Amino acid sequence: MDSSDFASKKALLIEDMAEARIMQKKMLSDFGFRHIEIAMKAETAMELLKTQSFDVILSDYNLGNGKDGQQLLEEVRHSNLIPNTATYLMVTAETSIEMVMGAIEFQPDGYITKPFSQAVLQRRLSKLLEMKNRLYKVNRALDQKDYDKAMEEAKQVMEQHPSLEGKCQRVIGDCLIEKEQYEQALALFSNILKDRKMPWALFGEAKACFYMGMLDKSENKFRQLMLDNRFFVSAYDWLAKIKTAQKKYHEAQSILIEALQRSPKNLLRQIHLGELSFTIGDYLTAESAFRRAVFLARHSCYNTSDVYLRHIESIIKLAESTPLQSRQKEQFNITLKKIHRYFFEESDTRAKTYSYQLELALLEKDLITAKGFLKLWQQEAESGEATAPTDQQLTHYHAAFGEKNEENGH
Amino acid sequence: MKKMDISTILASAIHESKNQVGTLLYQLQGLKESIPESDSKNKKITIIEESLKKLNDEWVEYLYLYKLASDGYQLHVDTFSIDEFLDDQVFALLSSANAKNLKLTYACPENLMGVFDERLMTAVVGTAVYNALRFARSTIEINASIEDGYLIIGIDDDGHGFDNSEEEDLVESNTGLGLYFAQLSASAHISKGKSGFLKKERSPTLKGARLAIYLPQ
Repeated sequence: MDSSDFASKKALLIEDMAEARIMQKKMLSDFGFRHIEIAMKAETAMELLKTQSFDVILSDYNLGNGKDGQQLLEEVRHSNLIPNTATYLMVTAETSIEMVMGAIEFQPDGYITKPFSQAVLQRRLSKLLEMKNRLYKVNRALDQKDYDKAMEEAKQVMEQHPSLEGKCQRVIGDCLIEKEQYEQALALFSNILKDRKMPWALFGEAKACFYMGMLDKSENKFRQLMLDNRFFVSAYDWLAKIKTAQKKYHEAQSILIEALQRSPKNLLRQIHLGELSFTIGDYLTAESAFRRAVFLARHSCYNTSDVYLRHIESIIKLAESTPLQSRQKEQFNITLKKIHRYFFEESDTRAKTYSYQLELALLEKDLITAKGFLKLWQQEAESGEATAPTDQQLTHYHAAFGEKNEENGH
Repeated sequence: MKKMDISTILASAIHESKNQVGTLLYQLQGLKESIPESDSKNKKITIIEESLKKLNDEWVEYLYLYKLASDGYQLHVDTFSIDEFLDDQVFALLSSANAKNLKLTYACPENLMGVFDERLMTAVVGTAVYNALRFARSTIEINASIEDGYLIIGIDDDGHGFDNSEEEDLVESNTGLGLYFAQLSASAHISKGKSGFLKKERSPTLKGARLAIYLPQ
């Protein structure tokens, strides 16, 4: 591949170490890249990925204190922030490569281990771009969620390039799952496993079984995957889903807690744990899960008001049974401030926030504050800034005010 | 003080050292770029660079060896085009061969596909080629074929062959680590009840030594 092929492509380089960053940037410009953006950490990279599109992403696995390269990859792939047609090359050390290879669900297109020379990087990148080029029509169809087309294209690529058979088979299997043709998907994955124990095929089987409602079978396969591969942490999420489907909520909860001990920075898992804990009324765990989620959400593509609102809601739930400790009250206010800062343009969020503040004031028997919030809320509802309280809410508040007023009168 | 596992300590010490070698390589690359290509110092820099690269590859080998021996290595097999894999190996090792005025080539049938752990086999081929570099007179060839359900990757040279000094060297003076590592790597590959193994032979083509790695498919 000559340099003109690189010249038209836009690259994002994510590396926290200054020396390596300067070196890699120089390498990329020597290859002919003319558009190179730089991020020193995952959070900055996320902001860039939200606002711009890139053809090539070169990311270090180790990115200092924040998210690591694999978490970044999982987040942007999961949320379709980068198209399937883009090329993601992960730079790893010998110790971190297992984390990358073990993540069966979301893998980079390729990896390169440090240290590497300019020539080695150029070769690796050229080969990857060539591979992505061969798969371009498949990936474009996937980006357009045209699964029939993706399968058709994958079959063609497979015939022309036998070395891409595994990748194409996996795409076809995953498309069948997307199209809810679980039996065909299961047959495809099982057929591959007859030949060779490929982790992605076993993963495919396990997913197909899950969607077909064969939960015990699915669980066995996920357990096998975890046994074969101790870095496959997302198997825990699937096990938790299975346990939830079986209504074994406490088991699901302990599985998620175990997984979070291994990778506490996983935002979606924290949210999942929070929701599950709400279901079983374990508001203490819900609060700590959503507190961490709020902390992680800011620089993620899941930075929605829901996470923040759920956190303060969990504190209200705690206040319903026992008076809040000062630390909890402090957490409430911290998250409240963040909602004010980031989401107060949303009228629904405003309404929900007032309802929680009002509720807390009522629980603390602080009627003056409660009434103050209701007044403010209603004023803003009139001006259209906030969604108006529902009749049900109003009845509840007036009853609370009325009763308490009478009590005070005695 | 709690007694610690010495092999774990050594493994992490090796890892630290490996990282330092990486930093040195980066700095050397910067130095190399700062002087003109015609400069006579370039030759010396290349020698240092090759030595550091070899040192890095050796540390990697020792780390894998430690992991394999302590059952901590997570095997990740995938399907590869052998032509591409061997091309990669020659590309990575060619400068080391050239520095010794040796020819390094590869040969395999077109469209040959194989299933194996790429990282391990990269380290094994590297180890075998570094060893052959010390004995070959002029040529080293990496080759591959599939026979009886095994992918065979061979490293052939035109040196004296295993029956003389080479075998001893691989086993004895290098404390046998290279061969032991290759053996563990081969046997970690298991498919349909068969495990991989090594064969030390006489090279039918180059008449020197041949190390053949058998990987079940």
